[in-house]
Amino acid sequence: MRGSPGQDAARTDFFLFTGCIALALLALALPRSWSFSIAAALRQTVLRPVVAIQARANQDRTSRFSLHSVERSRDSLAVLVQQQDALRRENDNLRGLVGVRARLTTASVSAEVLHRPTVTDARMLLLDAGSASGVRNFDPVVTAEGLIGYIVSTGPHSSSALTWANPDFAASAMTADGRVSGFIHPAPGLNASGPTLELTGVALRDSLPRGTSVLTAGAGGTFPRGIPVGRIVSMAPEVNGYGGIYRVIPFASPGAASHVIILISPRDSVFPAPSRLPLPPPAPALPAATPAAGVVH
Amino acid sequence: MALRMGDRRRRTRRSDGVRVAFVLGLLLLLEFYLRPSIVDGQHGVPDFLMLVLLLLAIREQPGGGALTGFAVGLTLDALTPARFGANILAHVLVGWGASWGRSIFFADNLLVNAALFFAGTWVRDILVLLLSATPWRSLPAEALVWAPLQALSTAVVGVLVVVVFRDWLAIRIET
Repeated sequence: MRGSPGQDAARTDFFLFTGCIALALLALALPRSWSFSIAAALRQTVLRPVVAIQARANQDRTSRFSLHSVERSRDSLAVLVQQQDALRRENDNLRGLVGVRARLTTASVSAEVLHRPTVTDARMLLLDAGSASGVRNFDPVVTAEGLIGYIVSTGPHSSSALTWANPDFAASAMTADGRVSGFIHPAPGLNASGPTLELTGVALRDSLPRGTSVLTAGAGGTFPRGIPVGRIVSMAPEVNGYGGIYRVIPFASPGAASHVIILISPRDSVFPAPSRLPLPPPAPALPAATPAAGVVH
Repeated sequence: MALRMGDRRRRTRRSDGVRVAFVLGLLLLLEFYLRPSIVDGQHGVPDFLMLVLLLLAIREQPGGGALTGFAVGLTLDALTPARFGANILAHVLVGWGASWGRSIFFADNLLVNAALFFAGTWVRDILVLLLSATPWRSLPAEALVWAPLQALSTAVVGVLVVVVFRDWLAIRIET
């Protein structure tokens, strides 16, 4: 007993629709590592020409519209490097005199940002550099202005960066003088200048004035110490009244970044890698049968 | 004679398909090459991929619209995985809705087409924002300022496409 062609078509539509919805819900429920793997696999295969075309378009735009600003930046940087060369040599000499190891240099990879015209574009950026260029997960992503985020997924020729505008972002931060530290994460709501950050975990006694620069603290090992994050614009007390929440205007905007720098290892963090930690000295043997010796009440 | 008529009809259908494919290819070129080679940034720029979905959806059955939405959503989720699956679900719903709406009322008016492009883009943006766990305090600005701006620019470009390629897309416009 077969239905009419109209009924058959309606049944097919229903099955297609429910199948698509079920697959979409399944995709939403996937663990993050799985979804990143699927996205990376699609980018390496069927979407590879799309990524390559868009990367090419970005390069064309830069050469067409940004050549003068790139030249200006290069010239000003050349002057800066020439001026700091003597300073660097002097610093190396002083480090040699006091026996301090040379400062680690951070290798970097340049990448173009392949923006999409979607409302969530600034939270996760697609970059045109991947593991073939030495990029790995958790490599920090910065611009000349400051912090953007870190790599969460890599393919051979592209990678995804989770930015500070993503609700999942958090990093340790400190003031430029290193006196006060806390945690930086995206602030809910929008400022007139766009999305902002919040510096939390700062005690009320450590009052920070407006305009104070905030940098990454290097704790946790993802971001090296000293990447500029933003500038404090206002403060509000925490709900429990023990600390302050500082609103920070970021220096770098993920939505406006067209070109980024990925810092690849080694990372000059305040915490050395566990394998490099010195072994603890052997504990002295405790004297037997003297339980209360040396205890002062 | 009947054979010749059928042959002609098949040839006409094939040339229609080529024309539609040309327009959609043009939109994809605009999306992946011309837009990024001219405009830097994402706020308020027209979404040509959304136009591809809507133009295909109004030509198809609701099931086909949902399937097209799935493909477009998967592409977007692979390119910007802010929350994998959010774009898929949003585009499936919009594709199916556009196709179903077309079968209920005929979008032969230019204003109705513009409204379809505007509403489709806006609804998609709101769904993506909701499914991507956007903080509630950020939602009004994103959903009521940036999303309508993009929907408006997409609708303007969509109307231009419909006016220029109405014969190729077989869209009748009543004035």
